[in-house]
Amino acid sequence: MKILWRHFDRFLRHRRDLLLGFACIPAAQLLDIYFTVRIGDALDRLRAGEDAGFLRNLFVLLVGIAALRGVFRYFQRWWIVAVSRYVENQLKQEIFDKLVSLPFAFHAKRKSGELVSRATSDVENVRMFLGPGLMYSAGAFVMVPASLWVLFDLEWRLALAMVVPLVLMGLGMKAFTPRLHKISTAVQESLAELSHRAQESFSGVRVVKGYALEGSMAARFRAQSREVERHQVELGRVRGATHALTHAAFDSTFVLILVLGGWAMIDRDLPAGDVFKFIDLTFKVFWPIIALGWIAGMYPRALSSAERIDELLATRSDIVDAPDARALPQVRGALRLAGVGFRHEGAERDALSGVDVAIHAGGVLGVVGPTGSGKSTLLLLLGRLHEATRGSIELDGTDVRRLPLEQLRTALGYVPQDGFLFSDTWRANVQFGADEPLSDERLRELARIACMDEELERFPAGMDVVIGERGVTLSGGQRQRTCLARALARDPRVLVLDDALSAVDTETEARLIENLRRAGAGRTVVVAAHRLSSVRRADAIVVLRRDGTVEAVGKHDALIARAGWYRDTWRAQQMREELEVL
Amino acid sequence: MSVHDENVVGKAWDGVVVRRLSGWARPHWRLFAASFAVLLGLFALDLLGPWMWRHILDGPVAEAVAARGAGGDSTIHMREFWWWIGGYCLLVVAQVALRHLEVSQLNRTGQAVIADLREALYGHIQALELSFHVRRPTGALVTRVTSDVENLNEMFTSGIITLLFDSLKVVVLLVAIFLLDWRLALVVAAGTPVLVGISIGFRGGARNAHRAVRAELARLNGYLQEVLQGIRVVQVFRRERQVGERFAGRLSTYLAANLRTIFLFALFFPAIDFAVSIIQGGTLWVGGLSIAEGRMSTGEFVQFWFYVALLVSPIRELGERYNILQSAFASAERIFDVLDTRAKVVGPAKSPRDAWTGRIRFEGVSFGYDGSTMVLEDADFEIAPGRTTALVGATGSGKTTLVNLLLRFYDPSAGRITLDGVDLRDIPLDALHARMGLVLQEDFLFSGTVRDNLVMGRAGVDDAALREAMRASHADEVVARLPGGLDAPVAERGATFSTGERQLLAIARALAARPPLVVLDEATASVDSGTEAKIEDATRKLLAGRSALVVAHRLSTVRRADEILVLHKGRIRERGRHEELLARGGLYARLHALQFSEAEVEPEH
Repeated sequence: MKILWRHFDRFLRHRRDLLLGFACIPAAQLLDIYFTVRIGDALDRLRAGEDAGFLRNLFVLLVGIAALRGVFRYFQRWWIVAVSRYVENQLKQEIFDKLVSLPFAFHAKRKSGELVSRATSDVENVRMFLGPGLMYSAGAFVMVPASLWVLFDLEWRLALAMVVPLVLMGLGMKAFTPRLHKISTAVQESLAELSHRAQESFSGVRVVKGYALEGSMAARFRAQSREVERHQVELGRVRGATHALTHAAFDSTFVLILVLGGWAMIDRDLPAGDVFKFIDLTFKVFWPIIALGWIAGMYPRALSSAERIDELLATRSDIVDAPDARALPQVRGALRLAGVGFRHEGAERDALSGVDVAIHAGGVLGVVGPTGSGKSTLLLLLGRLHEATRGSIELDGTDVRRLPLEQLRTALGYVPQDGFLFSDTWRANVQFGADEPLSDERLRELARIACMDEELERFPAGMDVVIGERGVTLSGGQRQRTCLARALARDPRVLVLDDALSAVDTETEARLIENLRRAGAGRTVVVAAHRLSSVRRADAIVVLRRDGTVEAVGKHDALIARAGWYRDTWRAQQMREELEVL
Repeated sequence: MSVHDENVVGKAWDGVVVRRLSGWARPHWRLFAASFAVLLGLFALDLLGPWMWRHILDGPVAEAVAARGAGGDSTIHMREFWWWIGGYCLLVVAQVALRHLEVSQLNRTGQAVIADLREALYGHIQALELSFHVRRPTGALVTRVTSDVENLNEMFTSGIITLLFDSLKVVVLLVAIFLLDWRLALVVAAGTPVLVGISIGFRGGARNAHRAVRAELARLNGYLQEVLQGIRVVQVFRRERQVGERFAGRLSTYLAANLRTIFLFALFFPAIDFAVSIIQGGTLWVGGLSIAEGRMSTGEFVQFWFYVALLVSPIRELGERYNILQSAFASAERIFDVLDTRAKVVGPAKSPRDAWTGRIRFEGVSFGYDGSTMVLEDADFEIAPGRTTALVGATGSGKTTLVNLLLRFYDPSAGRITLDGVDLRDIPLDALHARMGLVLQEDFLFSGTVRDNLVMGRAGVDDAALREAMRASHADEVVARLPGGLDAPVAERGATFSTGERQLLAIARALAARPPLVVLDEATASVDSGTEAKIEDATRKLLAGRSALVVAHRLSTVRRADEILVLHKGRIRERGRHEELLARGGLYARLHALQFSEAEVEPEH
């Protein structure tokens, strides 16, 4: 509960709206009770033989009460629920900012889809409980005691007896809740299993068809489907029971009114109008109480959601500026890796170890090796997306951990392996790389360097072509070249290419490399690649083994002169290229 | 949450869909009849209760009061009073019992229908040819058989039936009210259209507002997901603040959409309550005049009051029902869309013969996935019974296509493939596949036990066959280390097995049915030399004495092949035995050097 109250602090930032909203609740509820009381009194006046002339005025009064009650109900909902939405946005922004600030290691372990859906449902659970949930509770907490107080005055025995079904219903609900919870869980689990069965047989459809397994897979699915049905029917039964229980309490209240009220009418002339008040207030008391049960049911979920949100927001990034960080007067781009190693958190062995290599400003460093040998990881260490767990990486002689992150990352132009782009225009994607607004001229130049100019011209919208789901689908090569333009847009001192030209054909690659050379005199380039022709002219090449250790460091000519992975792969790739042209 | 599906808007009523759904409901008519009976009974009791109130208040209570007022004896009236109370208690008990059934019976009915639908849908999807599956994300298909079908349950439990009953209730109550007192009825009858009007008018606005909220939420989440996927780029470019501001922008449009919904709901509930209160106030006014003039008793007024409450609640929920129906219709449409897709690759029901020698012929076979660009051209070859044909070629040369055609995952665009002279298209699919032992690159293991995965529900695989297959394939050594042996569960699609072990299991699976025909797509992933030796040995036993088509990646396999077909860019460019082809010094010789050299070859992209 404490955790939820802490979240309520965010609601309190909108104190004025919240107070006004909560102030409307008793006003509306008391008017509602007053409405019933006036009708009951009127019935008695009529029965007492009073002239019916007062009915017209009473009608006007009742309409007035109803209108005023409506106004209060409107503002109650408008203020309180709106505040819950402000808070939702506030929380989502905090979560977003937190997620964006957390280090890559955090994200590598999690699926983005799960993070998104969890953030959405967690925030919603907290919002529902603290917003509409509290609103309905407050309504019930006004309506129930106030009604009982009115009724107590009329016929205390009946008012007292009315509490009994309410309490019994509460206890009954409490008894059913664990069972309801258990069966809901069973339903969810059986549905998840069903979904899993469908998932695996649809994704393994070649095996299913190739083995003529349609029949036995269908039988398996059917068994699970019937299991789901069984649990669902069971859940329906328990839901039916809670539904019946609610109504049992409701209906037995009417039995009580009939028995005790009728008896009081006979015995001591209880006015019929008072019996009417009992009836009508029972209608009005019941639904807030049911809402209360519904809110109590939300509590555990809201609590665990709040805990998860707090846990996420409390997570601190350990990759931050060092206290003694000092900016270099100017970044030139010389890199030196000394004994660099990296181990993922909780892993048993190093993903990368013993990397020793240096490159002068303006030089080209190649990183090659089999898949999974840690090439991408090594590149991520340069910008401190991962922090090296051993050794040191120096930029212009200063350990990168001693540099302000801002300066370090501003100096880097990174081109990712997956060609990640935003669903936005080409222009916006390239602009993303630059700190200052880019002129059309500069954008065109970047397109030319990245060999994208001709292709862009083919789009009617030109550079304003929208990329992604709602726009055009770019080929892998086009994506990579756009990423390259984005990296060049920041005019980086160190260009980092993570196998960034793999989907670009050899001919274009050669043109690109030539363009890069001319456009970026004095720019250091670090390039990881599968295609060895990409690193052929590098000043130094690091050859990694599958286990992340270094097999060799040297220039191309030296590496093909000795037996090893580099020479074998080089030959194989040469041969494949020859084969292509046959 | 699948945001895209959420956004598909269905109609509120679709006659065609309802007719088709009623076809699925028909086999369960008994359940439906029972549901109707429960709802009818409940409604009758709902009407009866207020009627009893009236009779108790106007009968024994009023008479007892009158008797006491006149100084008479009220005992006889008290006895009558208690009898009525007894009756009312019985009514309440019956009502509570029926309320239980109202929920559970309707739910049971809906579940029975959707279980049938779900299984039929699953079977249908599975029967559709590979090209259907390739075109669609697996997740979308899974959504069809899970959430879309579940969504339909709502249609049965709180959709159609309830809507029909609610309409019936409104009509019957209006009639009952008229019979009670026509003056009062006029008040209610004048108010009801206003109520319905508010409810329906609101429904339209709420639907649009809800749709806007969903669309904005989808955009918001889409952006968040995109940023998380590109978190590397965001961080390395130091754009945390910029994307945060962008997110804030989307949040504010999301908020605007939410505020509109809140406004509508804040207006709707008070508006309905206000209208109801006016009806109640009018009832008091008109009813009060009747009471004053002695035309109406207190009991009648109470009965009337109860009936008005009964009348209002279904109208109040009209909007909600509408939304449920709409979402259910959207799901139904997506489901029927899949069910209406006809399978293109189908076989006859009966096999033209029972015994097969296993002679396979490709006669001028060409194939293009889109029907125009051919990825395989004019393939012409024969695999004699018991012989092995190996396919060799670079990635994209057409090897997999050729295998897919033999498995009839697709049909040739031109030419034909025969088994013992019979066109594959004239052989029932299951009869064809039952003849084949299949080892694919994707050595797919299903959840279940290891035994389940080796037997795979095939009739001919008994314990003896299984043991023999496991011994021959060295899979027994894999199984021996498992706690529980053959009955050990396969976790996460076999992630607990190494690549080599999965291959051995796949070979055992193929061997277990003693197939006359083998289709083998050798895995390229490298394994340690010990396992490699086992795989080679298992492969040799698998191919021995069987007609086999092999996509070869192992030197040992091509060496033993009776014929090697060298595929290049969709054509068979060379054919012959290993030594002949090597000596020729052509394509094969180069491929051989490339593929079987000691180099650790990178997987191509």
